[in-house]
Amino acid sequence: MKTVSLVSAASYLPARVVDNSFFQHSDEAPAHAMFRGVKQRHHVARDETAQSMIVQATQKLADRLNLDLHNDVDILMTNVTAPDQPFMGCGAAVGKALGCRPEWILDLHNGGCVSFIAMIAQAQALMSHSGAKTALLCNVQNSAGRLFAQDETRKLKQALIPGDGCGVGYLVASNESPIKSIVQRNYCEYAGDMAIVRHDGSEWWEPSTACSYVDFTEAKLAQIMGRANHIVPEAIREACRQANLPTDQIGTLITNQPNRIFLRNWREALQLPPTRHVSTFERHGNLFGAALPLCLAEAIDSGQLQANSHLVLGGFAHAGDFAAAAVIHWRPQ
Amino acid sequence: MKADLSAIDQLPGVHRIENCGKEEMTSLAMEMTHAVYAHDQVYGQYCSIQAYVDCPAEKAFEYLSDVYTLQEWTYSLRDFTTASDDGMVVATDRIGGATKIYTRTVANRQAMTVDFHCAWDQGEHLWMIYLMRVVPAQLVFDRPGCVVLWTNCRHPFYDRNPFPEKSPPGRKVWVGDMWPFFYAGHQIELDNLKYILEHRHANGLPMTIGGPQ
Repeated sequence: MKTVSLVSAASYLPARVVDNSFFQHSDEAPAHAMFRGVKQRHHVARDETAQSMIVQATQKLADRLNLDLHNDVDILMTNVTAPDQPFMGCGAAVGKALGCRPEWILDLHNGGCVSFIAMIAQAQALMSHSGAKTALLCNVQNSAGRLFAQDETRKLKQALIPGDGCGVGYLVASNESPIKSIVQRNYCEYAGDMAIVRHDGSEWWEPSTACSYVDFTEAKLAQIMGRANHIVPEAIREACRQANLPTDQIGTLITNQPNRIFLRNWREALQLPPTRHVSTFERHGNLFGAALPLCLAEAIDSGQLQANSHLVLGGFAHAGDFAAAAVIHWRPQ
Repeated sequence: MKADLSAIDQLPGVHRIENCGKEEMTSLAMEMTHAVYAHDQVYGQYCSIQAYVDCPAEKAFEYLSDVYTLQEWTYSLRDFTTASDDGMVVATDRIGGATKIYTRTVANRQAMTVDFHCAWDQGEHLWMIYLMRVVPAQLVFDRPGCVVLWTNCRHPFYDRNPFPEKSPPGRKVWVGDMWPFFYAGHQIELDNLKYILEHRHANGLPMTIGGPQ
């Protein structure tokens, strides 16, 4: 595999900040541990597209790295939770708006909350077998404003958790901040345990006025939590092992941000202090796939991510059908 | 008189479906379920271990309830005396050098429990209690063999030798100093028990020793 570096990240958050009073249960502390701990989150506006969110985050990235977007994006990848259009991804529209001429465009619809790591792995594979030298990876979470703000859905406790945002990362075939290891684990046996449904039973493409929500059942919760407790630390430990990095040498850990108990457990499992684990959950809610690049951008901006330290990314997707982790030796020039 | 169950729901710390909804219950479960637990959280006050043994429960019970088999499966109990009239046996616990360990066995065939009431250095107050229970694996695992459960509780004397004057001269070690290794030590001994029972059962050997060796 060609040596590939993760050199920077940038983010965009929608202007609209929604506090807990927006939700029906705001007057009482939500009883369920699954739905506690978010104080505010951002919601996309109705006319705000995934494409426009990526464009705004990428412009920040381009300014930071002094990129010529016309020439400096060989691979363009996107993952969007609530796509702008059902038939197509927004990669080409992003390229159009940014003036990119990528050799490869991939609009991914898997990898969920750790699709950022899946995109890194795919970009590295593509770079190793083609002439591509640069990759722009874009994660958009826009389901909070698009689905969880719907009139009926926002009455559900689950609606408190998602928050919208966009994170983009930039890869270069170089030795600057090399990706030392990537671990991906597909657990296909757990596929299908998370679904978006409607009260009236209609499918998403069928005409209906019913609102959409996540088919969350208590019965599945114990199973999902058991999986998350197991597969995320396992993937992170394996990535660290492959990178010859003792887990107590993890400088900064960035995981997806599903809820505070999962964050607590992963940290405990790796025996890391909270100061080394980036958490935006309280301020931004569950950012789904955008959490990784967005937390990375925040850790860079805040100085939490120190030069010449090891950055570890990890997490799981959906109800546990995929887990991934990566180790990056962070030494920005 | 019929018990007033609603009064139970008023008791602090009691969670029943009448006073704690299913959602709250799941919440509590989530809070309590960690990915990892510190050794002390699990084995700090209790040391409960268990093993599956490929040997019928009745035979395992017979073996355990013969106090002299402790010479085989424990790491360091040796040199047993014959039992006194009140059922007390004295042995040497070689972990403590020349330390004497006093043991009285309380076995219940119906419950298949075997409790070893022991103490170092003296036999008047037997406070080191090894609680063991044999369960037919057919019941709990739907397979032949048995499961052996073993629990010790951290009696305060583990932290403070109550009879220092009875120690052999010059002994530096106290049994309770090893509490942090009880999980490991007991698991190794339980493995000994498992392998010995499986060996005896597989080869049709007797399940008792019946006296000092």
